[in-house]
Amino acid sequence: MKIVEKSSKKQDIEFKPNIVCFCCNWCSYAGADLAGVSRFQYPASIRIIRVMCSGRVEPAFILKSFKDNIDGVLVTGCHIGDCHYISGNEFTKDRFERLTKILKFLGLEDRFRLEWISASEGKKFAELITTFTNQIKKLGPLNNI
Amino acid sequence: MVIKGKLREYLNNCYQCAMCSGICQMGRIQKYTPSRIIQLIIEGFEDRIVESGMLWDCLTCNSCLEKCPYEVNFAEIVRDARNKMLDARIMPKIAHKGFYTLLSEIMSKENITPEKTFEWVPSGCKVSEEGNILYFVGCAPLFNYEFDESMNNAVDTLKILCKIENEPIVLLKDEKCCGHDLLWQGKIEAFKKLAIHNIKAFERSGASLIVTSCAEGYRTLKIDYPSMFENFNIEVKHLVEYLYEKLKANKIKFKKEKKNTKILKLTYHDPCRLSRFLPKSFNIYEKIRYIFKELEKIGYVYNEMVHNKSNSLCCGVSCWLNCSDKAKALRYHRMLEAKDVADNLITTCPKCEIHFRCLQNDTETVQDINVIDLSNLLENVIEVIPSKQNK
Ligand code: SF4
Ligand code: SF4
Ligand code: SF4
Ligand code: FES
Repeated sequence: MKIVEKSSKKQDIEFKPNIVCFCCNWCSYAGADLAGVSRFQYPASIRIIRVMCSGRVEPAFILKSFKDNIDGVLVTGCHIGDCHYISGNEFTKDRFERLTKILKFLGLEDRFRLEWISASEGKKFAELITTFTNQIKKLGPLNNI
Repeated sequence: MVIKGKLREYLNNCYQCAMCSGICQMGRIQKYTPSRIIQLIIEGFEDRIVESGMLWDCLTCNSCLEKCPYEVNFAEIVRDARNKMLDARIMPKIAHKGFYTLLSEIMSKENITPEKTFEWVPSGCKVSEEGNILYFVGCAPLFNYEFDESMNNAVDTLKILCKIENEPIVLLKDEKCCGHDLLWQGKIEAFKKLAIHNIKAFERSGASLIVTSCAEGYRTLKIDYPSMFENFNIEVKHLVEYLYEKLKANKIKFKKEKKNTKILKLTYHDPCRLSRFLPKSFNIYEKIRYIFKELEKIGYVYNEMVHNKSNSLCCGVSCWLNCSDKAKALRYHRMLEAKDVADNLITTCPKCEIHFRCLQNDTETVQDINVIDLSNLLENVIEVIPSKQNK
């Protein structure tokens, strides 16, 4: 009995989530950069994909990630009002509100998050990654919920 | 699968009359000659055909099968070849960046159990998880993501069913996509997973009859599920068949609407999945026209378009493939035909409806025709005849 317990625990520890993080070029990517420059620690679970604006992120990108067994998806952009292209992120917000309904239907809404991060918020970026990674760890891998 | 055994042996039936190339709907907007493709396959160039990716262009409208003297099923050949094309990483361009296909693919994972919400169920409709008659809703709640009117069809169908039946209608919480789009895009593995899940869910509910209002869903449940899974033998009916039988059995009749004094001119677009994709013995053309005949009795006018029944033109997009300016030309042509004879274009396929409406958004000349689903039209006019024996 004990042996079984041990090995299953070990598996828990070994689960390293794969998270895709879309960052807009002007704020969030700079924020992520700042987090790196200021040496804030955060888990190495994310793969950043830089896009010019959060408005570039198609809902289909999120679905494609889930289809390919990515455990969690983050979309980050400038704060509302700060978008380099004026209203790109308002568009994003509207779009992902619609998508969230569909993700709820699929039972995936906890694996997706939309956040606004400015170029000066390196700390917030690091914290976001940490909390989101922990959340995904709790949920377990996508391909055997 | 229709084509068992060797493809080339099967194709040797073809005697190159080129009737298929003459009728081909894709041929109206670009060079497309199924008979040539068949000839090339017979000559041993199947790999080249697969590599060229040209089979992504076929609309799978089955017009060619309708005309072929030897009933060579080109669309099925295309379907099988698409599976090979995917293996060779020759990818199609899917409309809406593949959004709806991705949804189906995610659903096909065994560990994902969707949880449908029933907030759209109209008040006064009794629904349950178990019972005799099951309404297969299909993807309409998902199309709601960007097509706001997509739910009307489901709401009205459910209203009709509740009106006619005395018992609660079964709606499945964990119903998945029927898999039609995946099947015709060649993603057969994912399709099978969806089918297995759905068949289990149907059986769990104890239903003896499945009614659907979607042409694609109907064809998939009625023909493709039983052909792949022999143990699936629940009766499936499209709303058209269901209402036809009720009319014939004198269970329902149509009544005049009081408020609507204007005479409505109707015409009907036969969706490929509810016409050429069904065996002739289903007699579906006559069943739907019987419904329109009954409607004429209460004051509607029904006119046929120039191309009707098995000749009917394609809406231009099937399983979210091929949406392009060229396909829009096909749809435009179809809508002009409808406009010539009527002011209401009725269809029984939610996707045809979506594509037609989409064209209306960017083309003014076809905006004045009203595209609606059969259920939206009938919801107001159906009246149940109380059975005398019960009293
Ligand atoms: S119509 Fe049939 S027999 Fe004639 S060329 Fe086409 S596939 Fe061959
Ligand atoms: S299925 Fe339609 S588009 Fe495809 S070859 Fe036949 S007629 Fe042409
Ligand atoms: S016609 Fe419109 S609704 Fe249909 S696939 Fe094309 S863009 Fe989408
Ligand atoms: S540029 Fe950052 S969200 Fe638009």
